[in-house]
Amino acid sequence: MTPEDLPIRNATYRLFAEHGRAPTVDEVAVATGEGSDVVRAAWRRLQDGRALVLDGDGRLLMANPFSGVETPHRVEAAGRTWYANCGWDAFGIGVVLRADSTIHTTCADCGDAIDLDVRGYRPTDPDPLFHVLVPARDWWSDIGFT
Amino acid sequence: MLVFRSEDHLTRWLTGRPAGATIPVSKLAELAEAWWWDRLDPDWQPHTREQNQAILDRLGLTGDFWRLG
Repeated sequence: MTPEDLPIRNATYRLFAEHGRAPTVDEVAVATGEGSDVVRAAWRRLQDGRALVLDGDGRLLMANPFSGVETPHRVEAAGRTWYANCGWDAFGIGVVLRADSTIHTTCADCGDAIDLDVRGYRPTDPDPLFHVLVPARDWWSDIGFT
Repeated sequence: MLVFRSEDHLTRWLTGRPAGATIPVSKLAELAEAWWWDRLDPDWQPHTREQNQAILDRLGLTGDFWRLG
């Protein structure tokens, strides 16, 4: 990741929040005035710098806390439906949007729905638990699993 | 990173599995607020490892499990 990549990274995040979905390379190119090849190369460097995650075809998969694809962690916030990469990211969506949210996820044990209202960045139901499988030093070794 | 309805559900799920670290969702919310707060700032800069570790430390998430690589 280079300093020149940051405007592309920041435009990518801004467009994600504005559109409620992952922007394409071409959309970021238009927004930044750069060529698509420039954006594509910047995204690869940003991925190397752990600033976002691409899929095998170079499309945006994760701009944490946002997920570019549907996941089991659905979040209602700011009048839209979003998808998060994990429970931690699900709480992050309301934070980055500066909005109250409702998180719809499932219990990893029984599969039953867990619906969490989040007001002022805090859950109204404090009872559910969050379990982190992977030690912090390994979080980026396999970010999809983490 | 998994969510469980209660301690009973977590205990049952962990049977035969290696345990990681468990925190209440209230602590997770504190962590998310500190970790993600600046992600949409127009002048965002990458966090250093030290900045991220300081967030974990400040929230009491200490020990080897919470030590960033």
